[in-house]
Amino acid sequence: MISLGLIPLFPLLGCLILGAIAVISSGSKKGPAEGFVGTLAVLFPALSFGGVALLALNMPEGGVRETLCTWIDLPMFRAEIGFLFDGLSRIMLLFVTGIGTLITLYSIGYMHGDRGFARFFAYINLFLFSMIVLVLSDNLLLTFLGWEGVGLCSYLLIGFWNKDLSNCKAANKAFIVNRVGDIGFLLGMLCLVTIGGAAILNYDVLSNFISMVINGNHVELVVPALSVAGILFFIGCTGKSAQIPLLTWLPDAMAGPTPVSALIHAATMVTSGVYLLARLGSMFALLPNVLDIIVIVGMLTAFWAAVAGLFQNDIKKVLAYSTISQLGYMFMASGVCAFDASIFHVFTHAFFKAALFLGAGAVIHALAGEQDMRKMGGLLKKTPVTACVMIFAFLAIVGFPGFAGFWSKDLILERLFMNCSMVIPGFTLFGAEIPTIPLNGVVYAIGLATAVITAVYMGRLIILTFFGSYRGSKESEEHIHEAPAVMLIPMVILAFGAVFAGYLWADSIGIKFFAETLAPVVGAAQAYNAPAVTAHLNPVIFAALGTIAALLGMFIAYKVYANARIPAAKGSSAPEGGKATWTFLFDTLHKYVGIIPVNVLAWICDVVVDKILAAAQWTVGAIATILGDGAASFQVRKVRLQIALSILGLVALVAIVLLTGGSF
Amino acid sequence: MLALIYFIVLAIIAVGSAVCVLLSRHPLYGALSLVLSMVSLAGIYGLLGSPFLGVVQIMVYAGAIMMLLTFVIMVLNGARDSHTPMFDKVSLFVIPAVLVLAGLVGFALVRSPIAFDAATIRGSVAITSKTLFDVAQTGPGYFVLFEVLGVLLLSAMGAAVLLAKKRLGSVDSEKTEDNH
Amino acid sequence: MELQAIYVQILALVIFAIGLIVAVSRRNVFFVLMGVELALNAVNLSFVGFAKTLPNDMSIVGQVVPLFSIAVAAAEACVGLAMVILIFRNRESVDADTYSNMKG
Repeated sequence: MISLGLIPLFPLLGCLILGAIAVISSGSKKGPAEGFVGTLAVLFPALSFGGVALLALNMPEGGVRETLCTWIDLPMFRAEIGFLFDGLSRIMLLFVTGIGTLITLYSIGYMHGDRGFARFFAYINLFLFSMIVLVLSDNLLLTFLGWEGVGLCSYLLIGFWNKDLSNCKAANKAFIVNRVGDIGFLLGMLCLVTIGGAAILNYDVLSNFISMVINGNHVELVVPALSVAGILFFIGCTGKSAQIPLLTWLPDAMAGPTPVSALIHAATMVTSGVYLLARLGSMFALLPNVLDIIVIVGMLTAFWAAVAGLFQNDIKKVLAYSTISQLGYMFMASGVCAFDASIFHVFTHAFFKAALFLGAGAVIHALAGEQDMRKMGGLLKKTPVTACVMIFAFLAIVGFPGFAGFWSKDLILERLFMNCSMVIPGFTLFGAEIPTIPLNGVVYAIGLATAVITAVYMGRLIILTFFGSYRGSKESEEHIHEAPAVMLIPMVILAFGAVFAGYLWADSIGIKFFAETLAPVVGAAQAYNAPAVTAHLNPVIFAALGTIAALLGMFIAYKVYANARIPAAKGSSAPEGGKATWTFLFDTLHKYVGIIPVNVLAWICDVVVDKILAAAQWTVGAIATILGDGAASFQVRKVRLQIALSILGLVALVAIVLLTGGSF
Repeated sequence: MLALIYFIVLAIIAVGSAVCVLLSRHPLYGALSLVLSMVSLAGIYGLLGSPFLGVVQIMVYAGAIMMLLTFVIMVLNGARDSHTPMFDKVSLFVIPAVLVLAGLVGFALVRSPIAFDAATIRGSVAITSKTLFDVAQTGPGYFVLFEVLGVLLLSAMGAAVLLAKKRLGSVDSEKTEDNH
Repeated sequence: MELQAIYVQILALVIFAIGLIVAVSRRNVFFVLMGVELALNAVNLSFVGFAKTLPNDMSIVGQVVPLFSIAVAAAEACVGLAMVILIFRNRESVDADTYSNMKG
């Protein structure tokens, strides 16, 4: 049985060694030997994955816990570095380390020839370390450490090509928007601590506390305070997982190298928000209002991002908005307390989204850096393996029956309909009784519509990229080539995952393996919030509706884009006009709500407050000068006169003492 | 009774010569008046039961210090600026101030109940020297102070010599050299 | 009428006041020194006067301290006169008012 501490240790070691290599070779012109660095870089995540697999096979029902050491030891606050390996963290770690290894392997090919080769892999290993710490920790404080760490690595990796200022700005934006969310996380932790003391940050202690509250019927007492904590944690999740309103960083994050987008912004970092909700599931189960907010936010985000994805011309931006949209689905599932469904979608999404990103990376590599889809086309013949991978992943994401997305997305939609208890409460209007309107149908309908739009924009992506005729320049057409093997192998493995990963929980055919592994962790929370009346609807209906939605979307895409004349691409690939307004809606919102007020405040401080402070300083100085001049006026030229004045002072003193009777 | 008469006579002499110091024009006259004042004060010391102190006063104060002062007055020709007015605006200011001060202090003094004690010891040489040097009885305080005073006088002497001597090669010494 | 303690103190006060007046209101530097000596003498007189009001064991203080005061006055007169000589060399004057470098 290996120690839990080894799992984050491997990538940390990798980061340090690779970082040392990067620093040592920073003086030389060519950089370190790529083969050596690449082998090292893949070795550590692979070791980590091996460790996780070993632990996963022998995991007892309740999970493995291990405390490494005491981190903070104060009378008022105590925190420990401890690890918790239960069903939830097992799943997350398996795909984090597994996909991490695959993408690292892919990056050896993608980053070939880049001067910052070693630095890149040092950052990737640091990221894996932070993510493992985030998932493996047994208390909120250590999770926060990992949370911040992945934010940092996101910044480092988005701005990896840091000679270009726009990359740096994108990295800054990602970090800052994440930071705004992190305030929510921190305040949420503080809120919990005020409710239950410092020890409540430990997940086991928290779930004990919640079950104690439930058993003692004290639920109404804690709900207000816990609601505040819940909202704050959710704000943190919106920051990390790019939901409304903190989602503006994810499209800009596509400035980083494509493996970074695949690893961080598709498979692992952005899912930490969903992971946090699942971990705190027992707490959120008690808070119906917060859950409703989560559902609404997830729904709006999913729909908005799907529509925005239609308007994009850059292949990576389409995938970015697609990620945001799918995350919205995961949040919707969490919002109806279907945590296992949301984690299942995280799992399948990791496979097909990573496959899509890696495929996009291969396309970009083939076209020597071209990312605008209006200049692509007809790549099916020229890069067949990439095309196959992307088509399989496409079928997974739209929910084509039999592929991974089918099982997970339809499960979410089914749970949405069955468990959602949002209602518009009934009221009397002019004497007429208006009944309560259940909203689960509305939510389900919007989810389904989003699925249609997903199919449309993904179909558009596939058609524009792989079908039709090539719309680029003639010289670039000569150079189109399939990606090297080191890039293809991970893509193919991920495509396999995109196809078959869904079968871990094929509800309709009775395989419930995934749900069973998660049940010890999230079962109590889900049971608490299970609807009072279960409508007996055949699950096949939902599957059928999902399939119809997917086929409808593919059909629309085919109709609109298959033989359409694509206008020649001029200028940048950014959308224009009304599409730009929709796409940059939240950027504009941030500008008016956040940036402009802060700028005004800064201007006020700089000009007004500065002047006030300078005036105050001048006043103090003037008082001192006046007092000094006044005192100096007592200096006279003649010493004798000075002495005479001193005698006068002495007389005054003696008189005072005499008058006050010596009690002075 | 007799003591009172002696005291009044000596007091008048002391105050009178002090006033003479105030009003004299030539510093030498002032120095001589001062000597007279000190001698009468020495007498008063003897009257008050400290004969040793009175004799020391005459030896040191009236003898050494005033001799020194007189010597310096004569060397530096102290009457050089005797055409300056004796009392000017500052004096107009200072004399009332001092008088008020003295008045206040005197007022406080008069109201305090002090009286001579009959059992006062007479400050003869024997008693004084025993107080100063008999460390076992009165503690080391006075003895240490006595020695420190010796060092102080030594250092004052050294300082005076250093301050006042002419530097070799300075302007003044050149002048006196040329005069030869 | 007997000689009373208060008479001695009054005498000391008067001499002190005269000494202070001499020290401050005369311009000749020697008179300043003489005034200071007068004031010191008055203080010694006051000490001895108080010593006589105290009983046996405490009274000796009032007769020893003036001894030290005289010694210190000697040292001070010595150094003071040396300084007068030094200043006289520079300014060729014994007028205390011309010794001032202060502005204002």
